[in-house]
This record gives sequence, structure tokens and C-alpha cells, in this order.
Amino acid sequence: MPDPNTLSPMQITLSTTRDDHRIAWLTAAAVLIHLFESAIPTFLPGIKPGLANIVVITVLVMYGWRTAAWVSILRVLVGSLLLGTFLSPTFMMSLSGAVASVSMLWLASHLPGRGFSAVGYSLLAAMAHISGQFVCAYTLFIPHAGLWRLFPVLLSMAIVLGMINGIICLRLVNRLKATACKTS
Amino acid sequence: MSSNFKLILLLCLLLPLAACHPAKKMVTTTDSIMAFGDFVQVTLITVPRQDQRAILKRVEDEMNYMQTAFHPWKTGPMGRTNQLLAAAGKFSANPSVIPLVRKAQRLAKESQGLFNPAIGNLVQLWGFHADFPPQGPPPAPGAIQKLVRQHPRMQDISISGIRMDNTNPAVRLDLSGIAKGYVLDFVMTRLQAEGVHDAMIDANGDLKVLGQHGNRPWHIGIRDPRGNGIIASLDARDGEGVFTSGDYENYYDYDGKRYCNIIDPRTGYPADKTRSVTVINRDGALADAAATALFVAGPKQWPGIASDMGVKLVMLIDSQGVIYMTPQMRKRITLEKAGKEVNVVSLP
Amino acid sequence: MTRADWIVIIIALACLPLVYVYNWRTQTQAIEATISGPDHYKRTIMLDHDQIIHVPGKLGDSVLEIRDGKIRFIKSPCTTKFCIHSGWLKYNGDVMACLPNGVYVQVSGGTRKYDAINF
Repeated sequence: MPDPNTLSPMQITLSTTRDDHRIAWLTAAAVLIHLFESAIPTFLPGIKPGLANIVVITVLVMYGWRTAAWVSILRVLVGSLLLGTFLSPTFMMSLSGAVASVSMLWLASHLPGRGFSAVGYSLLAAMAHISGQFVCAYTLFIPHAGLWRLFPVLLSMAIVLGMINGIICLRLVNRLKATACKTS
Repeated sequence: MSSNFKLILLLCLLLPLAACHPAKKMVTTTDSIMAFGDFVQVTLITVPRQDQRAILKRVEDEMNYMQTAFHPWKTGPMGRTNQLLAAAGKFSANPSVIPLVRKAQRLAKESQGLFNPAIGNLVQLWGFHADFPPQGPPPAPGAIQKLVRQHPRMQDISISGIRMDNTNPAVRLDLSGIAKGYVLDFVMTRLQAEGVHDAMIDANGDLKVLGQHGNRPWHIGIRDPRGNGIIASLDARDGEGVFTSGDYENYYDYDGKRYCNIIDPRTGYPADKTRSVTVINRDGALADAAATALFVAGPKQWPGIASDMGVKLVMLIDSQGVIYMTPQMRKRITLEKAGKEVNVVSLP
Repeated sequence: MTRADWIVIIIALACLPLVYVYNWRTQTQAIEATISGPDHYKRTIMLDHDQIIHVPGKLGDSVLEIRDGKIRFIKSPCTTKFCIHSGWLKYNGDVMACLPNGVYVQVSGGTRKYDAINF
């Protein structure tokens, strides 16, 4: 007979930091946008505005690279679980894009001096994102030189959308900072 | 930036793209067909569902028919026309030769008579009408003078419908200076009608192209008129014909002097101030005739004649080996031999 | 926006045309391969007939195969075998190498070939 004590419900308490809560909330926001974006149709196949990245860049500016990296990677994991694409090619593409942009943001946020504003981060992240996806697509799925013919077009779109998103981030950050000042 | 929707679409988009790269699935067929008394190289780039064999067969039939029709000496529409021309007066000509004769008349006029297909008797006197080059010696000066004084010109013929009226019995048509260009124009139009976008027909050194060769233009080398090898190269553009008249194809040397098959209608002797003339034009018949006319015109006169005939892309190499080009031609040509002097001459 | 932002924007926009040119350059079929190896080994071979070539390298012989106007590594004494995995080479200007064995291959000459000779 097993000890009855071991059968009784056990409560595990994980100690969470304020940072963890923040990451969770922000990831939830990013996942929401991610899901929303996957539902709207696009005017051109292969091109998405990348609104979820706005959250990542905003988080980077507000809370630093570590939080942004968590949000970015978790967003891909949770998003794929919710959409049922976990470990599928789609997920691999998402992940490679996220890893590339997060790595790029690490480099960018560790530059000396005043560094970048949200616009610079967003542009760099968008370019790294599309490049990462192409490298992934080429090495894992379509090892054919013809794939790269598409790269300039998508890179152009990434640059345009990266800058637009960056400007949105810039405004968002200013608004958030203003609200933070008022409430405190 | 990433979303599942996007990535699925991206992959859907990329997979077919990967399958059809680098070149669109094209079939290149090169075949030699017999026409103009020599092999004609036909290169067709077609999509797989097109039947290249059938297209080539039709091209061959077309060229063979036209070659027979336009041959000045053998029995056939043109041979018969020449017989009737010799009798002078009015007659009904074979309709198949009329468009070509009309075109030749126009080009002869524009070239101020330097392109003169009416001097068939002179060509025959020199012996350049045969399938093999003559051996010499040159004909007696008296015989040449006699034919020159008869002044056979294209203007001696007037055409109304299928009726021809010839006022000069010395007129004998040798249309070999234009027929090749004319036939190539015709065949290329036929190929386009068959749905062929990319093709090249190389009729023994004179050629016309359509579209391009895969993903690059048709690259043409121009033979050095003396010695071996390529003197220059150029990329032929869609629809262009590249025609060269040279003194090295059909000629004989006698007493240290070269006699080529391009005869100056003014003197009755082979033109000897030029080694070769290359003309590029979308109108193959024009390019063909202009190459002959400018060869006769020589290094001094050619710019005026080229301007009158409306050809802008010209390269002339004179008997000293000096290269002349129009500014437009200079832009298109890449010289393949070092140390060649080029005179760029603007047309008047 | 900071100065770094502007620098990144300008660099991105300036490099974009280069990316187009690089990725959209026309690829022409090569007609010859230049193979170089250690000890000033250098050979230029036409790709127009099929053959197997042994190239002496630092570790041993690299074996190259020419077939249908293309060239590839088929045997190599190196441990990584990256050279074999790089596959066929056929477009003008393309390069491959076996770094451990010191063997380099470049194909070229696609534009020198004439479609026709005019005379």
C-alpha cells in the first residue's frame, strides 16, 4: 500500500519574478497579434506586415534585449502550438526568422554610443528576419539556387515594412513612456 | 514578420519557382537544312509541346521553294522571268518573283545604283554565277565595256500588277544580293506565326535572330576578312539581321590581284576598295542589299549611301584593313583583336 | 531617431540594388573549368566532353567528374566532404573548393562562345 500521503494533491509553487510576469503578458500580446495576422489575407503572397515584431521592438526599447528575446522566441513557440504547426516547416521558418532577428538585435543593442531608436532596430530585425528565413528555406526545404531570385523582392518589402513598423514602434514607445510618467 | 499564413504561401510560391529555374523549360534544337546551295543552320528554342521537327520541315520547304523561285539561271520563276526580260517589252511575270523585284527596285534606287541586280550579264561574264568560283583570267576589257555601256538598271523595268515592262534587253536579274535577306525575313515571320519566340537562322554566314538564346542574347562573331579568327563580336537583338558582304567568299586571284564576286556596276569590274561590309538591320533584305551597295561604294562613299538607304549600323573594312564604323555600330561592337584602328564616321 | 538609424537606412537602401544585381544576374553556361591545386598546379579543361580528372592535393587526390557541361567533386581525401556536397558547377563564374586538400575549381567562358560566325 502506498503511503496515502503521496496520493494527496501536491501543490508546487513556482516563484516568479516581476520579469517573468512581464514576459508572459507581452508574449500574450505578441501571440495575439501573431494569430490575428495569420488570419487576415495578404495582398501579395509571402509578404506580411510583421505586426508582431512591433511588440518585440517595443519591448526591446522599453525593457531590454533579454525580455525581447524571450517574447520573440516564446511567441513563435506558443503561436505554433495554438495554430497546430509546431515543428512543421512553417514553424521552422518562423523560428529561423525569429532567431536571426533576435541575434541581430543583440548585436545592435550592444553598440556603444546612443545606438539605435526603434526605427533602426525594426529595420535591422526585418532584414535579418527575411535573410534567416531564406537561409532556412534554402538549407532545409528548397536547396535550389532559383530560390534566391526571390530574395531581393522580399528584402525590399522587408526594408519598407521594417521602417513603417519602426515608426509605429517609435510612436508607441513615446506614448507608453508618457503614460508611465502620468501614472507614476 | 512571420506568420504561418505567410510561410505557407511563401512555400507554395517557391516550390514551383524552384522547379522551373534557371531557364524556363526550353528545348534548343539546332538542325542543318539544305538551302541556298549550302547548309543553313536553324536554331529553335521552343517549349516542349511545340513540334520542332514539323517547324523545321516547314522552314526547309519554304526556303527550298523560294530558292528555286529566285534562282536567276536555273529553270524556275526567276529564270523564266529573265528569259522574258531579255526579249524586252511587256509580259506577265510569275507572281512569286514580283514582291522581291519591287523591293530590289526600291533598294537599287536608294543605293544610287550601287546595288544593281540588273547586271546579271556582267556576273555571268565574270563567271561568278556558277556554283564554283571561276579560275581566271578576267574577261576581255572590250566585253566588259560593251555590257557596261548597255546600262542595265532596275528602273528599266516597270511593274503593274503582274505585268512587267522592260525597256532594256540588257537587263538580267541576279537577285543573290538581296534574296537571302528577303527569304530570311519571310521565314522569320513564319516562325513567329508558329509561336516561336527565340530562334536563329544562319544562312551560310548571313543570319537573322528572334528573341534570345536562353537567358542571354544571341552572340555573334564577325569573321576577320583576312587571316583566321574573329575580328569583332556583337549581341544581335530580337528581330535583327546581320549581313556581311566580303571579298573572301567567292573570288579568285589572278596575277597577284583579287577578283571577287561583287561587281561595281559603274566599271564592270569587281569592287576592290573594300574587304568586307557588315550591316545590321531588322529588315534583312535591306541589310543584305546595303552590305553589297556599301561594299561597292568603298571607304570614301559609304556614309552617303548608307544614309540614303537608311541603315545606321554599319562596319566597313577597307582594302588596307582600316575599320570604319558608324557611331551606333561602335556602341554595339566589341573588337576581338587588339591594335586595330577604328574610324568612327557619322552619317551625313 | 538617432544618427545610427539613418546610417542603417542609408546602407540598406544603398545595398538593395546590389542585392538585386547579384541575385538577378544572368547565368550563362560555362564552357571551361580552371582547376588549381597546391604546388602551382593549374589546368584549364573544356567542359564539352565527359571525363574524370584526378587532381593531386595536400592530402591526396581529389577526383573531379565532368559530365554534360558540368563539373563536380566525386572523391576527396578530406574529412568534411563539403566539396562533394557542393554539387555540380555549371554557370559562368561559379567557384567551388576543397579547402583541406587545397583544390579550387572555377568555371568560366560562357560569354566567349559565339552562337554564329558572320561572314
